[in-house]
Amino acid sequence: MNASKKWLALLLIVCLSVLAACSSNNSSSGGSSASSPSAGSQPSSGESGEAYELNVAFPIFGAVPSNMPEVEKAISDIAKEKIGATVKLTPISIGAWSQQSNLMLTSNEKVDLIYVSGTSFTGMVSKGQLLALDDLLGEHGPDIVATFDPEFLKATAINGKTYAVPSNKEMAVDYGLSILKRYIDKYKIDPTSIKTLDDLDGLFKTIKDGESDLPAILVPQSAGISFLASHRWFDPLGDSIGVLPDFGGGLTVANLYESSEYAAFVKKMREWYQAGYIMKDSATNKDNGNALILAGKGIARLSNLKPGYERQTSLEYQEPATVISLTQAYATTSSVASVNWGIPYSAKNPEKSMRFLNLMYGDTEIINLFDWGIEGKDYVKKSENIIAYPEGVDATTVAYNLNLGWMFGNQLKSYIFEGEDPDLWKKMAEYNANAVRSPALGFSFDASPVKTEYAAVTNVINQYALPLETGSVDPDKILPEFIAKLKSSGIEKIIAEKQKQLDEWKRQNG
Amino acid sequence: MENRKAGKRMRLLKTYAPLYLLTIPGLLYLLINNYLPMLGLVIAFKDVNFSKGILGSDWIGFKNFEYLFKTSDAYVITRNTILYNSAFIVLNLIVAVGVAILLNEIRSKLMARFYQSVVLLPYLISMVIVSYLGYAVLSMDTGFLNKTVLPLFGMDEIAWYNEPKYWPYILTFIHTWKGAGFLCVVYLAAIIGIDQEYYEAATLDGASKRQQIRSITLPLIAPVITMMTLLAIGRIFYSDFGLFYQVPMDSGSLFNATNVIDTYVYRGLMQLGDIGMSSAAGMYQSLVGFVLVLLSNYVVRKFNRENALF
Repeated sequence: MNASKKWLALLLIVCLSVLAACSSNNSSSGGSSASSPSAGSQPSSGESGEAYELNVAFPIFGAVPSNMPEVEKAISDIAKEKIGATVKLTPISIGAWSQQSNLMLTSNEKVDLIYVSGTSFTGMVSKGQLLALDDLLGEHGPDIVATFDPEFLKATAINGKTYAVPSNKEMAVDYGLSILKRYIDKYKIDPTSIKTLDDLDGLFKTIKDGESDLPAILVPQSAGISFLASHRWFDPLGDSIGVLPDFGGGLTVANLYESSEYAAFVKKMREWYQAGYIMKDSATNKDNGNALILAGKGIARLSNLKPGYERQTSLEYQEPATVISLTQAYATTSSVASVNWGIPYSAKNPEKSMRFLNLMYGDTEIINLFDWGIEGKDYVKKSENIIAYPEGVDATTVAYNLNLGWMFGNQLKSYIFEGEDPDLWKKMAEYNANAVRSPALGFSFDASPVKTEYAAVTNVINQYALPLETGSVDPDKILPEFIAKLKSSGIEKIIAEKQKQLDEWKRQNG
Repeated sequence: MENRKAGKRMRLLKTYAPLYLLTIPGLLYLLINNYLPMLGLVIAFKDVNFSKGILGSDWIGFKNFEYLFKTSDAYVITRNTILYNSAFIVLNLIVAVGVAILLNEIRSKLMARFYQSVVLLPYLISMVIVSYLGYAVLSMDTGFLNKTVLPLFGMDEIAWYNEPKYWPYILTFIHTWKGAGFLCVVYLAAIIGIDQEYYEAATLDGASKRQQIRSITLPLIAPVITMMTLLAIGRIFYSDFGLFYQVPMDSGSLFNATNVIDTYVYRGLMQLGDIGMSSAAGMYQSLVGFVLVLLSNYVVRKFNRENALF
């Protein structure tokens, strides 16, 4: 054998071994994914031997709290005792969440329970990433079922199957204005006299005339969000591409952007913009609304309201705020199913996942561990369900400061912080019960049959909606262009598909 | 006879064997990072459903590609992508070669280094920061132009982020300012590599500076220019995402002037999150890029075999 052949052989061997390593990896992961459903159908395997470890993935909006490991251990201990499983918490920064969670699901990484945002929910279901939960809920989720009005639990069903469980928090939303209270006091405005969007004209004019130094009054809620997102009179049916124009009971899907109400709204925004009420850079703004108000760019936001909002927003503005509600409270699929928990398709032991999820709705201890941390260290009890920071600790120094009560299951069983309305959860329950319910509550649209048009229409909306809805451009000129372009991109096909799915949903749900 | 040939080949192999060995890591890198992922191209023709797995998902032919061509935007984004990138290639070339020649003429070592760094600096700044530099100049509420410069001339404020007509110039300016520095360094390196004797001989013959540049510098760096330009043409269907997304602050009113294939795909699929459609876009871009490289290389070869890449 000559040397050249030897070298060639060596090269081949190296290449082949690399290839083999790659393919063997593939086959092993393929094998485990294939075996996962069978592992789920044999629950007995999880009971015996070592406790099964549940991986719970969720986004966080700041740094990982220093006390997280201790909280994780405390939750784990309770779960081990009650359902025979330990718990591993996987917090992921919100900026990386959509990418990283998607990667975890596509690569079959071990995740047993995952946060599902309302916007990604239907996409995840149509891609087959979530397990149907109906049987599991019936068998292992009694506390979850008991927590919800059945109508609310239906909000996360697609084709009659439930794919996620919403967090129990505010289930509806009303829209209004949150404004620095000192201006209301200074100009002796009676907030109860303001009932509609048009009533704000007088308020804004008074303040603008009195405060010549003020750059603007109204700032956007956050980057890329228009004022329409905080003032709705329609059910967006998820994405505002084809909406229910009112809550009267009709189930006819209509094009929002063609409606006279929409035209009136963008005209009003243009008026405000030209009068100097709206921050001029609203359409290109990259900041959070609270930061803008703290920086003195404006004094008010149109806001999505709920019980207890006045205190929340006063904390954010770092001074007293006044909240004026301009609409009724509406419950739609999006408001109910905005924050949910799902079990990924690749979960090895769905039964355990469901039993732990059940604890997040029924077990006060677990809920408060998630929400507030360790008693005595991160908070102290003042009375039955009122808590405060321990001595020497405040909001900036507390070792566990996630403040994500709205995410972890049943917020209505969470302790209430001192200074907050002690009856907050009672009011919340009433608010949820009394909200005007959309006739399409529970309907979720699956865009996959029309995804070509959907991508095109999304682009058109990205182009026109924000400038129009912040008053940055002239609606007389731009709105007709917008409507024409929506049509040429196929919005009517999407609306027809939505109507078809809605009729089908209606038929199934009587 | 046969034996002698084989023996020669063997000797050659023996001599170069260590060199072949050295190429292995590079080849492996190419194989793993550039060739294996190509198998993923099947995704572009599938309706991906994770419960079925990628290979098990349904084939749907060219349906994932449709949205790229179906709408009135298809024309706008293709036009923008090609026109902007062509303008960038030409401008970058002229500015970079020009500046490189000028830099080469600076006799003070220290000043030459100083200017070189100044020209290169923008290339090292992140696009996000560039976008905020732009914002500081163009914003409505606090912008330098609107608050300081325009009032000087008694002109009204301009809503820069709502007026598409200014943006082709703004974007081209920013891209040249940011990108030319790097190319300039490449050309400068080529120019410095030219043998000084050519210039000495030319000076003796009484050639002016301009004649020297035209007849010595430019022809001798032509191969580098061709190579850099061919590489740029290969990426003509990819645009600088940061430039077209960050710098116009994602402002909807500007889309007619700022939307390119990359930003269109990004915006359209943010909500759908459909990996089939995004791979379709990626595949379309690379195929066109591939064809363009082959074509332009063919054209170059027609004129001058020496300068062609392959």
